[in-house]
Formats: sequence, C-alpha cells, structure tokens
Amino acid sequence: MRHKLRHAALVAISVIMLAPFYWVLKTAVTSENIYEYPPHLLPVRPQLFNFVDVWYLIPFPRYLFNSVIVSLIAVAGNLVLNAMAGYALTLPFIGRRSVIILLLSCTLIPFQATIIPAYLITAHFGLLDSYLGLALPLLSTIVCIFIFKASFDAVPRSLIDAARIDGLGELRILLRVMLPLSTPAIATNVVLSFIWSWNNFLWPLIITRSPDMQTLPLGLARFLSYMEDTTGALYAFVVMVLAPGLLVFLMAQSAFMRGLTTGATKG
Amino acid sequence: MTWGRILISRFFIVPIVLLVAIAGWNVYVELHAHGLLQGRVVDAAGHPVPNATVILSVHDFVTQVEKARTRTDRAGRFRFDDNNSHLIQLEAQSGTASSPRVTVRLWFRGQDRTIAEPLRLPPSA
Repeated sequence: MRHKLRHAALVAISVIMLAPFYWVLKTAVTSENIYEYPPHLLPVRPQLFNFVDVWYLIPFPRYLFNSVIVSLIAVAGNLVLNAMAGYALTLPFIGRRSVIILLLSCTLIPFQATIIPAYLITAHFGLLDSYLGLALPLLSTIVCIFIFKASFDAVPRSLIDAARIDGLGELRILLRVMLPLSTPAIATNVVLSFIWSWNNFLWPLIITRSPDMQTLPLGLARFLSYMEDTTGALYAFVVMVLAPGLLVFLMAQSAFMRGLTTGATKG
Repeated sequence: MTWGRILISRFFIVPIVLLVAIAGWNVYVELHAHGLLQGRVVDAAGHPVPNATVILSVHDFVTQVEKARTRTDRAGRFRFDDNNSHLIQLEAQSGTASSPRVTVRLWFRGQDRTIAEPLRLPPSA
C-alpha cells in the first residue's frame, strides 16, 4: 500500500513537472495564444504548419547547422581534454591536492565574471566569429573533469599496474584501459557538454558578429523580436530547439545516471 | 565493443533512422516541388467563371506581397507554374467582384498542389 502511495505521489509530481512542456508542445501544434482564456487542455485543430513557418521564415537550417557544429566541437573537446585531466588527477604528483582545490574553487566563479578575459583571449587567438571560438569556453568543464576522475578512481589499481608492467604508456593506459571501463562517464560528458553547448546563449551573443554564425538560442531571441503575436510559431521554434538535446539525453539516459553516481560507493 | 553490438545499439540505430527519414523526405520534396498550383473559380451558383483574374500573394513575417497573376480558362480553371513560397493567399477577381482571400499553407516551398475548394465569387459577379 505504501509502495502504491509513493508511486502515485511520484506520478503526480511528474505530471506537474511535465505540464509546462506539454503546454509548449500543445501551443506549438495549434494557433492558440499561450495566455488564451479559458485555456483548452487538449489542442484545438492541431496542425504542424507552425514548424514549416519556422523552417522558412528565418534561416533555421543555418542556425541548426551552426549549433550542431559548435556542439560537436564542444563534445569532442570535453571527451579528450576532460579524460586527460581526469586521469592526470588520479596519478600521484606534487601539488595534486592544490590543483584539485584550485579547480573546485574555480567552480564557484560564475561564467559571467570571467567573460571579459575569455573574450580577450578568444580575440587574441583570432577566433571571434568562428566555430572554434564559439565552443572554446566549453571545451573543458571542471564538473566533467571530476566525473572522469571519479570514474577512473573506481578502476582497480592492480589493473593499471598490470598495464604498466605490460609496457603501456600513460596515454595508452587511458585509451585502452580507463576509457573502455568508463562508458557511463563518457556518456555523462557527452550529454552534459552537448546540452550546455546547445543551450549556450550569452557567449555566442558576445562573440558572433555575422548573422551567419548565430546559433539556435540567438535565433530564438531574434525570432522573438519578429513574432510577438504568432505564438504557435514561437513555441514550434522552442520545440525544435529542445528536441535534439532531449533526444541525446534519452539515448544516453541510463549511462548518464550511472556516470553521475560512479565513485559514490567506492571501496 | 564488437561491430555487431555497435550496429544494434540505439546510438547507431536512432541516427540512421533519422538520416533515412531526412533523405526520404528530401527525395519526396525534390519530386513534388515544381511550384505548380492549380484550382478553380466559380460563381455563387457554383458555375465556372472564365477569364477571371486570380492573384497569388506571398506571406512574410508581417507583409503580404503580390507575386503573380493569372486568368482562368473557359472551365474556370487557373494554374500557377512558379510558386516558390510555402505560405500564400489566393484571391479571384471578375469585374468589380472579388472572392474572399484563401490562405494556402504548403508543407514545403513550391509544393505542387491542387486546391480542392474553388475560389467562390460573390453573387454580384
């Protein structure tokens, strides 16, 4: 009985949390205003033409292409750099503890506080208004470094020692031993870096200069300035922006959960 | 991970299904996007109206611009060959009478479409 009650409570909470998403989806497939009163729980005369409007009325394919390229660069950078950094932090070296404390302290600094130095560094490298420049601040993230570190810490030392005795160097140990045993951490890195990059608004807003380099969140802001009353198209755009991130999350969901909890029960 | 396991994993199947769907849709669009738009103009009694002017306007964010005009044949039929929009309005005129503007929404730019419901001129036509 208690189990059923708990289940019912969880279902009720899920319904409450999913209600805004349902409302966005419902508005996207109708021509209703989101504030229409009295509200209709079910879509009235549903149709998909709002998605067609979004595709053609703004350069949606261009924004989509830019977002995909930037997210792929960010995901690749996260996998390579975070795996190397996470593995380095599992090895003994002088000042390791200080480096870990320094990295953890840096997570307290909001990105907005570092945006001017980040801009100046990107400009110095000549990467303003480029895909690499758009992905640069997300090429490595501290949270993801520690996800890899926790996963690598859970690998038995004897396995690494055996690999060393067999003559493998550190990079090959990382590639051949650590990463194949850390697929949940890889999935978590992919999901988090993809979603952070996909939803990033402030950084692309600052460093893009040409409309051709804008990403989907910037396109959404631009679309908002055009479409104040045609809410159906606006929310169709929202759904089109949300869908890829949701798809990536759903595909890697189970590994993502395992990746976040790896190391929690070490010992 | 073996190739067999990779091929049946959702990380392979989902992108492949999406790519196949996108490719299929693009092939369909390519075969059906000649910009051909046809329909009929009738009077209040339902009789075909020959030599009526049909105006095709294209919708933008806030504007509506006339793009083309054509005339109906003896059977009241009209045809546009070069529509390149997905959101258009059609209006028929004959003498001083005009039909209500009909909005036509297409699934892609230049979709070939025969409009089932005729443009209907008011009784004074």
